[in-house]
Amino acid sequence: MIDALRYEYVRLRTLRSTYWLIGIAMTFQLIMSVVLAAVISQSSSFDGGNAAFDVIATIGASSGFAPLFIAYIIGLLGVFSTGHEYRHGMIRATLTAIPNRTHVFAAKVISTVVISAAAALLCILIALLSIVAFGLDLPTAKGLVNMTSGTLIFTALFSLSGLAFSALTRNQTAAVALLMLVPSVVEQIIRAIVIAIKSASDHPSSDGGIMNILKYLPYDAGGKLYTRASLDDLLSFLGFIPFGAVGGGIVMAVFVGALLAGSYALFIRRDA
Amino acid sequence: MALIQAVGLGKTYGSTRAVNDLSFEVHPGSVTGFLGPNGSGKSTTMRLMLGLDRGDGATTYDGRTFAELDHPMRHVGALLEAKPFHPTRQARNHLRMLAAANRIPDSRVDQVIEMVGLSSVSKGKPKKFSLGMGQRLGIAAALLGDPDTLILDEPSNGLDPQGITWLRSLLKHLAGEGRSVFVSSHLLQEMAVLADELVVIGRGQMLANGAVADFISHSGLGTVEVRTPDGAVLAPAIEALGAAITREGDSLVVSGVTAEQIGEAAHSAGARLHQLVTRQATLEEAFLEATGLSEEFRGSTGDVA
Repeated sequence: MIDALRYEYVRLRTLRSTYWLIGIAMTFQLIMSVVLAAVISQSSSFDGGNAAFDVIATIGASSGFAPLFIAYIIGLLGVFSTGHEYRHGMIRATLTAIPNRTHVFAAKVISTVVISAAAALLCILIALLSIVAFGLDLPTAKGLVNMTSGTLIFTALFSLSGLAFSALTRNQTAAVALLMLVPSVVEQIIRAIVIAIKSASDHPSSDGGIMNILKYLPYDAGGKLYTRASLDDLLSFLGFIPFGAVGGGIVMAVFVGALLAGSYALFIRRDA
Repeated sequence: MALIQAVGLGKTYGSTRAVNDLSFEVHPGSVTGFLGPNGSGKSTTMRLMLGLDRGDGATTYDGRTFAELDHPMRHVGALLEAKPFHPTRQARNHLRMLAAANRIPDSRVDQVIEMVGLSSVSKGKPKKFSLGMGQRLGIAAALLGDPDTLILDEPSNGLDPQGITWLRSLLKHLAGEGRSVFVSSHLLQEMAVLADELVVIGRGQMLANGAVADFISHSGLGTVEVRTPDGAVLAPAIEALGAAITREGDSLVVSGVTAEQIGEAAHSAGARLHQLVTRQATLEEAFLEATGLSEEFRGSTGDVA
């Protein structure tokens, strides 16, 4: 297993896309953090603390009005983890170096989690530096830990789903498309259909019912890890009560776990 | 030194049996050529030997399967396809990555880079590599762990004549050190010079397995050239043995019998012999004869208009 991890370590270090993707995420975070911190420092309604940190750390995603952008960039590291193996015919070289497929797969999962969480942590640190640079109040320790852990966990799970899509499809392009479209398009279409059905029902404001489906949209549920307000709150009149951070995180983790289990089972059985 | 033993290798794709019950051995100290027409199952067989494809049978290296080998690149070096690397990762880094998984020091990486002649481009992006340079990098990867066994699928693809000569010398040298070398190639003349033994397959079936000399000598395409002033007497005597005769000037070209049989027949018939020359079939002729009915893809030389 250690050998497989050493392989992954050198693989990541010697790939330009690793640096590009983390660099893009950090550059985006730096620019937007500075802009947001500057705006907030001039605002009379915002005086820093947890609210400002949440907005700056997630570049507005904590409001529920925007996706967590850095996750979409860092998530590509997960896609490339297995995607490059198939796109560039590396899988046979990899498996002749490390024939134990379980070790290969586990090392990819571990390395994806570590590098995704580390990259997300760097982005959070950039947000904190921006807050300090513009003289805003720092978040409380609890606020800092909650938002940081939520962002790190979501980003890592997001990347792992990219890894799983790649391993399932053995097609890097398809995996990128799935990673981008499932959270931002597919889940929104499902949401729109469910809302339409509920609205057209005899008792649109009754609790639960078909609206409960929305609680289990994995990326939306996982988003509760870092959102402090949500568009979902606007759906309360339709009887929709979403999960909190823990529940939403569990839903996303179960979804990603199922994807990984399926992709692992195929990885073990398929021809390389 | 590793003895490769492949037993009952088989692979089915849908309703097609691509490889069927192949068993053979590759002995230390020898180069074993792996021959077969396009689509005959050579690459599939090699992938089965390395556990990359799922199928029937087993291949062992001194009694252990590939998956059971600790740090397998130290035991078995493999080249399975051209350009199996990320196009923007430096050639040296590609090898360092493989080396890291097998606890092979970076000094060995530099050694094999020099061995295959890629020192000047080792920090270049492989996407700019020619097919031959890609093959050299693949060969470097196979040699990385200084393995006892080499499994190489078409290693001479894309190599220039100097490269082919270099590869021949290298593989001969490695076999001379007692290593087992199993190599497929379409260059039959090259294989005739390089290989000690052959495994010949067609449509996934074993056609021949053994020494190159035996494979050639068993070919029905060998002939004996007979120069005689008594052709009218000798020809019927030879034909009576079941041989086929064609006349070329004052010579008879005989196939289907040996020079000894012809000599005996001439003696019995009272025919004088001025020359008796055995001409063996080439490896190419023997291969084409052996695989004639096993071609998966057969072309035509007729008009295409």
